[in-house]
Amino acid sequence: MIGASRVVKTRLTPRSETTFARWSLYGFLLLSVLCWAYILGGTNSGVDDLVSGESWSNSGRFIRQLAGLESEVTPAFARGDRWLETAKLAYDTLIMSVLAIGLTGLGAFPTFVFGARNVSNGDLGGAPSKFNTALYHAVRLTFALTRAVPELVWAMIIVFFLSPGVLPGAVALALHNYGVVGKLSSEVVENLDPGPARALRASGAGNLQMLIYGILPQALPSFLTYLLYRWEVVIRTTVVVGFVSAGGLGREFRLSISLFHYTDVALIIAWYLILVVGVDLVSAGLRRLVLRDV
Amino acid sequence: MGSRKLRLLESRRLLTLLLFGAFAWSLSGVDWLGPTVHTGGPGALLRFIQALFPPELSPGFLRLALVASFQTTAYAVAAITVAVIVAVPMGLLASGAAARSAKTRLPIAVAARLGLGAIRSVHELVWAVLFVSAFGLSSLTAILALSLPYAGILGRIYAELLNDVPESPLRALRSSGASPFKVFLFGRLPMAFPDMLSYTFYRFECAIRSAAILSFVGIQGLGYQIQLSLHDLLFNQVWTLMLALVGLVVAVDLWSTRVRRSLVA
Repeated sequence: MIGASRVVKTRLTPRSETTFARWSLYGFLLLSVLCWAYILGGTNSGVDDLVSGESWSNSGRFIRQLAGLESEVTPAFARGDRWLETAKLAYDTLIMSVLAIGLTGLGAFPTFVFGARNVSNGDLGGAPSKFNTALYHAVRLTFALTRAVPELVWAMIIVFFLSPGVLPGAVALALHNYGVVGKLSSEVVENLDPGPARALRASGAGNLQMLIYGILPQALPSFLTYLLYRWEVVIRTTVVVGFVSAGGLGREFRLSISLFHYTDVALIIAWYLILVVGVDLVSAGLRRLVLRDV
Repeated sequence: MGSRKLRLLESRRLLTLLLFGAFAWSLSGVDWLGPTVHTGGPGALLRFIQALFPPELSPGFLRLALVASFQTTAYAVAAITVAVIVAVPMGLLASGAAARSAKTRLPIAVAARLGLGAIRSVHELVWAVLFVSAFGLSSLTAILALSLPYAGILGRIYAELLNDVPESPLRALRSSGASPFKVFLFGRLPMAFPDMLSYTFYRFECAIRSAAILSFVGIQGLGYQIQLSLHDLLFNQVWTLMLALVGLVVAVDLWSTRVRRSLVA
């Protein structure tokens, strides 16, 4: 969803270089045999359920319940007042996603340049210093830590400090995405054309001038594009984070599931899909606007 | 030239305005006057940070973290295998390369792309909650839920990669009388395979994280243990488990980066 594969082009590679990939493939196949053996043998796999008629009729009943066919009451998704009541939750969810991406951008923007190897080692001109190297490692370590922990785990931790609502969910989403966007943007800086920066340095530009005229013009479009791509991922995850942070559609989804209000579940899923599709479209439009500038 | 420059200026200004406006709007959506921080919040934050020095390092707990890491890996690997098995045929259909005639190509490709888009729209944990309600909790239910969005994203990327292969070798195969299936098997697939493999490895890293949060529906692994330790307020155990997750993700990331480098170099 971050489009990393798009730049990859088929190229003929020497045999020796593909050996690692080949052995990795074999290794992964071996690993998957091992893992499947554990799952089928060492856990409650549920293979018996696959062949039992009961579990299939249960799932059939669940779908009928979602569609409101199992009860006499008017299903929630056929009632205008329920749509209006849940519209507030959908609005909160949208707010949460925008706030999360805003915080991600606010955090990542001043730091991603320092997570680039070519900035810290003076490859873009300028003397390498111990301080810059230490900064590089600190920034990269922060990216790795925040990125490796999923949004939901961050949310579980953050609800210890922040009161339930939109904010803890947005902070949890922002923490994880800070690591993702930071790492990707640092890699953009590492891959950019060093020419302009070196030329600026040679003509006596200071550090700030290098940043503003040598690095940011090349890196900023990718940075914005990554933020917009991540927004699409974030809107899908807001509901999950809402399970614990109690903001938006997530809490209502979980509540309706545990209270067996299945037509409410269907209504919330409908809102969820509207948001996902809407954000995908808006993000695509904004990304086109970003790219038109380059 | 002059008018074009003006347009560029305008669209850049418009974009800046839009993005900052959206952020300001989202800030206004938070109730800043109400209590944003718990009364004991700062103290809890301090205790949480202090718990990192040192995290829980007793041999018994480290063994538990190791077992949980393996469980999380197992679910991730299983989900990726299912996702690939679903994504290859779906990607083939979505690329339109499998269709025999131009007339059937478009409807099949559109239908497959819609299907992939639909399963991709819903987060894996939302699928998991729904599946657990429908089928009951078991590891296969969780793996199926986890694999669906991954099949969606892998299928879309596979379709693009299968479409992007150079046309001339395929023409050569066709002119020597190969059937569409053989053109796929001996032409398209081998050419797209390195990129497909490298992207799948990239997704494997994401699957590790997704598998960890399956704990939310009651699946064993790192997330499950984190939840238990958080429940008991044992923050130093939480740090050990989080560091185990970081180690696992970084290890898979290094592996997948090396695979990608060796394929794309």
